[in-house]
Amino acid sequence: EVLCCANYPLYIRSVPTQGELKFHYTVHTSLDVVEEKISGVGKALADQRELYLGLLYPTEDYKVYGYVTNSKVKFVIVVDSSNTSLRDNEIRSMFRKLHNSFTDVMCNPFYNPGDPIQSKAFDSIVSTMMVQAF
Amino acid sequence: MAQCVQSVQEFIQDSFVPMVAVLCSEDAERVTRKNSLSFPELLRPFCRLTSEGHLRDPNNQVVVVKGLRISVTGINTRPPQTPEMHKLLSQAVSVCQPPEGSPANVITAGDYDLNISATTPWFETYRENFLQSMPASEHEFLNHYLACMLVVSSHEAVPTEQFLKLSQEQHRIQHSGEFTHPKWFNPNTLKYYVLLHDISEGDEQRAESVYEDMKQRYGTQGCYLLKINSRSGSTGADEQMPDPWSQYLHKTSIHSPVNVPLVFADGVSETHPLQLDQPTDAGYPSNNVSQSVNNVDVTRPEKQASVTSHTTPTPRGTCLTLNDHDHIRQFIQEFTFRGLLPHIEKNIRQLNDQLVSRKGLSRSLFSATKKLFGGGKVPEKSIAELKNTAGLLYPSEAPELQIRKMADLCFLVQHYELAYNCYHTAKKDFLSDQAMLYAAGALEMAAVAAFLQSGAPRPYPAHYMDTAIQTYRDVCKNMLLAERCCILSAEILKSQTKYSDAATLLIKMTTEDSDLRSALLLEQAAHCFINMRSPMVRKFAFHMILAGHRFSKAGQKRHALRCYCQALQVYKGKDWTLAEDHINFTIGRQSFTLRQPENAVAAFRHILINDSKQSAVQQAAFLREYLYVYKSMSQLTSDSSLPQLPLPCLHSSQTRVFFGHERRLAEGEKQAATHVSLDQEFDRDLSQLWRELEEQVVAVANRGTVPITFQPSQCCLNSQTDNLRYPLAVVEEPIIVEMVFRNLLKVPLALSALSLLWKFTPKDFSGPQVVCAPFFFYLARLKLLPHKTGELHVLGVVYNLGTGEVDNSEGSLAGDLMCVRGQQNLEIQGPRLNMTKEEKTSVKYGPDHRLDPIITPPMPLLEVFFINFPTGLLCGEIRKAWVEFVNVSAVPLTGLRVASTHPEFFTFGSATSDLTPVTPTAAEHCSAYKTVAMPPSVATVSLVSPAAFGVTSSDRPIVAEIPLSQGVLGPGEALQIPLWLRGPDREGVHEINFLFYYESTEKTAKLSHRVLRHTAFICASRSLSVKATASRSNTLHGRERESEERQEGEDKNGSMLVFVDVENINTSEAGVREFHIVQVSSSSRQWRLHKCINPVGDKDSKLASRERGKLCFKATRCRAEEATSEKYTFADLNLGNEQIVSSTTPCADFFFRSGLPSEPRRGGVSTGGASQMRRQSGTDEGVTNIVKKCSEVELDIIVLWKAYVVEDNKQLILEGQLHVALQTIGKEACSLSQKEEAQEMVLLKFKPDVPPPVSKPSLEQLSHLIKTCLHYPESYDHPFPQKSLCMVPVTLMLSNCSLAQVDVIVDLRHKTTSPESLEVHGSFSWLGQTQYKLQLQAQEVYRLSLKACFFQAGVYNLGTPRVFAKLAQTSAMCETSQQSAMPALIIINSV
Repeated sequence: EVLCCANYPLYIRSVPTQGELKFHYTVHTSLDVVEEKISGVGKALADQRELYLGLLYPTEDYKVYGYVTNSKVKFVIVVDSSNTSLRDNEIRSMFRKLHNSFTDVMCNPFYNPGDPIQSKAFDSIVSTMMVQAF
Repeated sequence: MAQCVQSVQEFIQDSFVPMVAVLCSEDAERVTRKNSLSFPELLRPFCRLTSEGHLRDPNNQVVVVKGLRISVTGINTRPPQTPEMHKLLSQAVSVCQPPEGSPANVITAGDYDLNISATTPWFETYRENFLQSMPASEHEFLNHYLACMLVVSSHEAVPTEQFLKLSQEQHRIQHSGEFTHPKWFNPNTLKYYVLLHDISEGDEQRAESVYEDMKQRYGTQGCYLLKINSRSGSTGADEQMPDPWSQYLHKTSIHSPVNVPLVFADGVSETHPLQLDQPTDAGYPSNNVSQSVNNVDVTRPEKQASVTSHTTPTPRGTCLTLNDHDHIRQFIQEFTFRGLLPHIEKNIRQLNDQLVSRKGLSRSLFSATKKLFGGGKVPEKSIAELKNTAGLLYPSEAPELQIRKMADLCFLVQHYELAYNCYHTAKKDFLSDQAMLYAAGALEMAAVAAFLQSGAPRPYPAHYMDTAIQTYRDVCKNMLLAERCCILSAEILKSQTKYSDAATLLIKMTTEDSDLRSALLLEQAAHCFINMRSPMVRKFAFHMILAGHRFSKAGQKRHALRCYCQALQVYKGKDWTLAEDHINFTIGRQSFTLRQPENAVAAFRHILINDSKQSAVQQAAFLREYLYVYKSMSQLTSDSSLPQLPLPCLHSSQTRVFFGHERRLAEGEKQAATHVSLDQEFDRDLSQLWRELEEQVVAVANRGTVPITFQPSQCCLNSQTDNLRYPLAVVEEPIIVEMVFRNLLKVPLALSALSLLWKFTPKDFSGPQVVCAPFFFYLARLKLLPHKTGELHVLGVVYNLGTGEVDNSEGSLAGDLMCVRGQQNLEIQGPRLNMTKEEKTSVKYGPDHRLDPIITPPMPLLEVFFINFPTGLLCGEIRKAWVEFVNVSAVPLTGLRVASTHPEFFTFGSATSDLTPVTPTAAEHCSAYKTVAMPPSVATVSLVSPAAFGVTSSDRPIVAEIPLSQGVLGPGEALQIPLWLRGPDREGVHEINFLFYYESTEKTAKLSHRVLRHTAFICASRSLSVKATASRSNTLHGRERESEERQEGEDKNGSMLVFVDVENINTSEAGVREFHIVQVSSSSRQWRLHKCINPVGDKDSKLASRERGKLCFKATRCRAEEATSEKYTFADLNLGNEQIVSSTTPCADFFFRSGLPSEPRRGGVSTGGASQMRRQSGTDEGVTNIVKKCSEVELDIIVLWKAYVVEDNKQLILEGQLHVALQTIGKEACSLSQKEEAQEMVLLKFKPDVPPPVSKPSLEQLSHLIKTCLHYPESYDHPFPQKSLCMVPVTLMLSNCSLAQVDVIVDLRHKTTSPESLEVHGSFSWLGQTQYKLQLQAQEVYRLSLKACFFQAGVYNLGTPRVFAKLAQTSAMCETSQQSAMPALIIINSV
């Protein structure tokens, strides 16, 4: 249930694979909220703004968290709303981890920005995060 | 929310209008029915008032009523029950589709450009119908009847009586308690008496009088005389009249019967809502017929209208003139202003008075009284029960309801401020009573009233609405009211640009119970998202999808499709493949069910052609669905041209075209020429190589020049070949087109019955059934056989596409079902042009004519077979093979030539050699050489010109002509000729390319020649390494003397020694046991081997593995007459008893072909740079040449050997020859030219080598200009005691080796300064002249007589004379001393 994308998906991964379509829709829709939140912050503050956007919106079954890098790459994490073990801080650290490994991917000279991410290292980090979280 | 036609204010006003009931007498009804209309329908178009009305509020303030609309309905009209209502609504929505070319509203949000219909008329229709069909509720009075019109025809016998009757009837309906349903606002309903007069029929006088009577009875404000039907129906039918009814009736009557025949088409249906004579619902006034109340006033006319509307287009109002319209309009105005508004005003005053009087009591008391006298309501009820508001009902006269009534009245007459205050008060009362339904109603209306207040705008209390909705929904479980409230609120919020709130509200209202409502509301919510200040495109799309889903569940396919299509705009091409696929799939399905197979196919196509990330199962499902849809579509459109199939992906640019037959590669012993086949990968370098070969052979064929029109033959065209011109194909020879299909899906696809589509006349071919495995490339090769000349265009490919699943049980059946036929076009784009500036700045592509061959007349076709062609050879091994040429066409061929990259590898034999065709089998075990039995002796000599072997001095013979009998190879003829092969000098695998060239006997313009390619691979293994050195012989006394002795009259410097080192370097275990050196031959223009001077005994030199042998030969200069000619002298020195005639085929062939003859080779070796340098340095050049010449030998040694090989327990004798070129005296030459090898090692060179500077002739080289030789007696006896001076004559022979004049200085005085030489020399001195200056002509030998004088006996070294030589024409700079001769010792004996 960790997904990461610009306005088109760079990387999507979900744990119960059967409901993938639903997650895609959820994430796609959440981008609107992300954009709203970004534009909500004043232009002057844009530089110092917090990358972590917090809870984007809760749906009946899921909580959607968002995170935007300075280069406007968006990370979205969707978690089961019944999952209470994940507090804001955990989500925040997950995002930070995700961001770090995303930076590593970007540093790969053979990675073409904009391509879907196909990195084993990134995969494994996401997997471990998912195992820890869920 | 989408834009609406009405403004919000208008919309709300129209939603709540004063209701007026109509009770009609039978006669009156008959009058109106002449126009196919009931009375209420007759009035409906005129119900909106155009002028302003006025009334005074309780405070005597004038309230202006603008644009008031009243609703006139039959008294027994009842809102439909829920199921019918649903049906009606769903019809209304499904009927209302977006117009075809609706004004598209393009919204640009971020990087999205969305094409969205600006309006949603279906929603407006729904809303209107919904609000109109709201059942009257007891908690509000807005849609309760305020007044009742009693309509009586003037035709009636006694109209006044009829009025009375109707009045009683109305009273009965309202007060008897029999009917719960038409709800009345007040007990004292306004009755308005209308006398309907039919002008065309009735007596106007009588009507007037009745009207007068009425006026007296009911007052002028309570009655009206309406005159209509000014003309008889049929007469004015041709006249064009406006039909104001159409837009009002059309929704209820025209379409309903069509879509729901249940409701109107059949009057006996039990669920008929308006079937009043059915006693199913006791709550309704089921009028007795006897009472002459029109029981048909709604049903029948509508039925009629529905029927007629289908048969004749405009049946309504046929009896009405425009004047009549005006009458009706006036009537409504009169009624409203004179009757209704005063009535309302009166009521408001009354209610106000009541309220004011009650206000005197304290509020608490008031509520206490309420408790005491509350009657129906039970305040003691527990809250839980209270929430079930169904139980809590105020009696209709309850004081709380009075205030609500007043509020409603105020609202209806647009006095919103007062209305708001009243609603607000009422709300408080209701809330304190826990009367939730009433409270919610009051809240709702309070909010609406607050919104509509124009004067002092109060902030719109959105929370009122929210509470109201929540209460309606959760507490009262009344979804209809909640929905109404929601729609109103959303509309209001929208008008205040609070789109986000509106959307939330709308989304909250979506529930499971009504799909249609949910769908519409979701769609509106989606529109809200897109209309936000920063449009939320993705939310819009998502909610559109949700709406589409609900639409499809509600059976509104068209709307569903539209929703999905709009959502697709957002998801399209954004990599959200799963979502996109889902949308496309749904679109496909919906389109299909809506019979839009083209769209369905397009949608499915999208799913399949993109690089789908769906699972295989899903893909298989998609594929099946697609095929099914596709099939049904193709059945529908029985068009001759097949539709385009998207699957599998056809890589048209990778299409390859091959012209010609497929080759048989091997046929027993015969090995066919490899030529070109589709299996070969294209190699640019290789094709360039072939092209060069072809150019060369064409040049030879055209006597040295390549024609301008020359184009290399291309048999196999692909994306990298030059496809600018039309390829040429020959009639009756197949054209094979190879297409690359790629299946991007995870499921297999079955392609069958492939055939090419082309423009010409239809011919043949169908391919086999193939299964295209998932994710794999599949190459389909289709063959085309042209039968006529002309131009051919291959257009595409036609095939059957099916699922690749093979069911064991019903495989064939399923295959037939899921199989569609379609085509794909082959459109090949040429390479991008990038030559001119224009082409560089724009993207232009060149043409590609790969698939447009021109069919030419028949051409000969050659096939070449090789017989006994080896694959492995020893270096230098000679092998004889056979080659067979077959003309397989019906046309004779001529001009057969062959070009090769390795001409030294093979020979067909020289022209002089006899070509007696020995059959290949017979020749198998014979030696390849021509031999003569002869004991070893002095070399036999023969002279041969290289021209005889097809070798011109300038070039290596790349192209060889193959002799044909009479120069022509007829149709079907075959020719076998021998072919000698010689293993390459270097070990390793060698790729040898042959290009056979041939022409047709008759010249055709298009195809001048044809070629056949062959590539052979030869593995060469090491055999012998031969090193040879030549050394001067004249420095050796012995040799010199010997040659002198022999007196052969040759030049004194005309011989030398040749040492040949032979080493067996064969490393293979393949069983080469030993090598025998059979013969050593020489070939040169100036030198020849004279005789072998090996130690005797080692006659036949054998070399086992790693052995090394040395042979020593004496070489002599050829005779003068021989030397001058251009011919080469071959000298054979056989070591065994058999002499191989080296001057014939194949030995000499290979010798010449290997390019060894020294002179041509030197020209070849010298690099361009070096030669340039030489030209620059003028005189030095000459010097160098002369100096070089002097030490040059130009002797080629041919070592012929035999190898004994054991193979399969059989001993084989292999023969071979190795060539060594001796060029310089003293320099070792090797059969494996090591220098070249060294060069090969240096592979990476980024800069050209700097050519070595032309050095001045080195000392060493100059020293070879002159040979010196001292002739003297070895020992000399002299009686020193007698004569103290001993004089010995010594001859110094100077011979000029060079071909130039040389100045020589001989200096005898010169003494070496070294002490040792002093010691050795002792004392002797030269007599006579001590310095000689001489000039020697070319090759001149000069004898200089000297005298040496000795003083005592001893051993002396006579080698003291210094000889300086310089070239005559050069400066002194070149002068240098000659080498000091070897010690020339003389022994002086004292006798």
